[in-house]
Amino acid sequence: MSTSTRRAAAFILGVGLAVGFALAARLSRGGAGVDETSLSGVVLADPIPKPSFTLEDTEGRPFAFQERTAGKLTLLFFGYTHCPDVCPVHMANLAAVLNDLPLETRQQIEVVFISADPDRDTPERIREWLDTFDKRFIGLRGSLEKVNAILAELRLAPVIHGEPDADGNYVVGHPAQILAFTPDGLLRAMYPFGTRQTDWAQDLPRLLRFTATGTLERLEHNGGGES
Amino acid sequence: MQWWCSALGEAWEWTWRAYPGVWAFVALMIAAYVLVLRATPASAAEARDRGTRAAAFGIAVASLWLVLDWPIGALGAGYLASAHMVQFLVITLVAPPLLLYGVPTEAYRRLPPRVLSVLRPITHPLVAIILSNLIAFITHVPLVADPLLASQLGSFAIDVAWIVAGLLFWWPVVAPVPEWPWLRGLTRLAYLGAQLIASKPLFIYLTFTKYPRYATYELAPRVLGITARADQQAAGLLMEVGGMLILFVAAGILFLRSMSREEALDVSEAGRRP
Repeated sequence: MSTSTRRAAAFILGVGLAVGFALAARLSRGGAGVDETSLSGVVLADPIPKPSFTLEDTEGRPFAFQERTAGKLTLLFFGYTHCPDVCPVHMANLAAVLNDLPLETRQQIEVVFISADPDRDTPERIREWLDTFDKRFIGLRGSLEKVNAILAELRLAPVIHGEPDADGNYVVGHPAQILAFTPDGLLRAMYPFGTRQTDWAQDLPRLLRFTATGTLERLEHNGGGES
Repeated sequence: MQWWCSALGEAWEWTWRAYPGVWAFVALMIAAYVLVLRATPASAAEARDRGTRAAAFGIAVASLWLVLDWPIGALGAGYLASAHMVQFLVITLVAPPLLLYGVPTEAYRRLPPRVLSVLRPITHPLVAIILSNLIAFITHVPLVADPLLASQLGSFAIDVAWIVAGLLFWWPVVAPVPEWPWLRGLTRLAYLGAQLIASKPLFIYLTFTKYPRYATYELAPRVLGITARADQQAAGLLMEVGGMLILFVAAGILFLRSMSREEALDVSEAGRRP
């Protein structure tokens, strides 16, 4: 065996061992610390009850939020259709995962979008924008005062409009998280920007288990599995 | 101003951006090549194909510039996995064989013995194919790729790692040092065939997944309405189809060259016969 072949063999063996060790370390870590009850979102230690308010939907009809979403996992987002980054990415990722769910599960979930920019977001524009993600998404619109009052009730920062540029465009400061109201009517978790599709795929079935008749913890203790 | 393309998290705009780091990189490559040419006077045999080699080097540098600069560089670093894959294919499969061929043989011979002693074992076909695929795989692992793409230096590191991986992979095929003919004739074709198999795990990893692998592309503002999932699947398919196409073209060139060499040998042998 020539020197170069011996060196090559030694190199391959070295690389193989290094990769093997790295994989073994990764696999051993992966099995530890998996908590079935954990959610990827930011879990609220003190859940907030679903607020009661009525805004106008994209058909111009009044939409009573608490009543119309009762008993469903409700994902609420405050955004605006001119948003260049956070809003469309959040909506697109959520829509992609919802599309994969079985119809029965999908029907237990409502996604509600409230415009943080009622001046530019007409009902038609909201509908058109939401339809690019999912035709079932609910779009609501109300005065900025009303929207900020809802945000205050949810202990979130108010919407702030930036100074318009020469073309009249402006940015809107708004909460970047999607709020998850579980079927028992409580805001239990928030999903900030950066939430991945894998996070949604993992959390949505878990969030659905917080029903009015029994919480996730109780189901876990009773040996209930993920649906 | 950014010097190298990296993920920005801003909405994509079709407005030209300058990346001086890319220009400096390209200028350095050209300058180094000119210096090498000056330092290695062409032998009588080499003088004839210097033009071809220079053209090959020029095409390699131009293709690198094309995929590292705006718009492909910027799209690949922060918006579209499919653009990232175009970069990967060009940087690892198109430019490196042309770069290796473009440098005159004499320049390799003049490398310091220490450099040659390092190059010799790592350009052994088995080591080269393993090492280049390992680099390709590691730089595609989301835990590695996502944080690197977020910074200019990290993104630069990925691009340089790909160039190194490409040079390593192609070395045994191009065999720029005639004294180290690692592979001869049809074994080169077998080597390219082995690469088709070696690239499969990465293709499967990228294509057959329900959810996007990379946070960089999943959380980037969308470009041209392409969804994150469709983009990643396109990246996987590009890798498979594009990679296969490039390797088939390379195999075809090698086959034709091998045939013409055999024909030339037959002719010269026939000429020697009484």
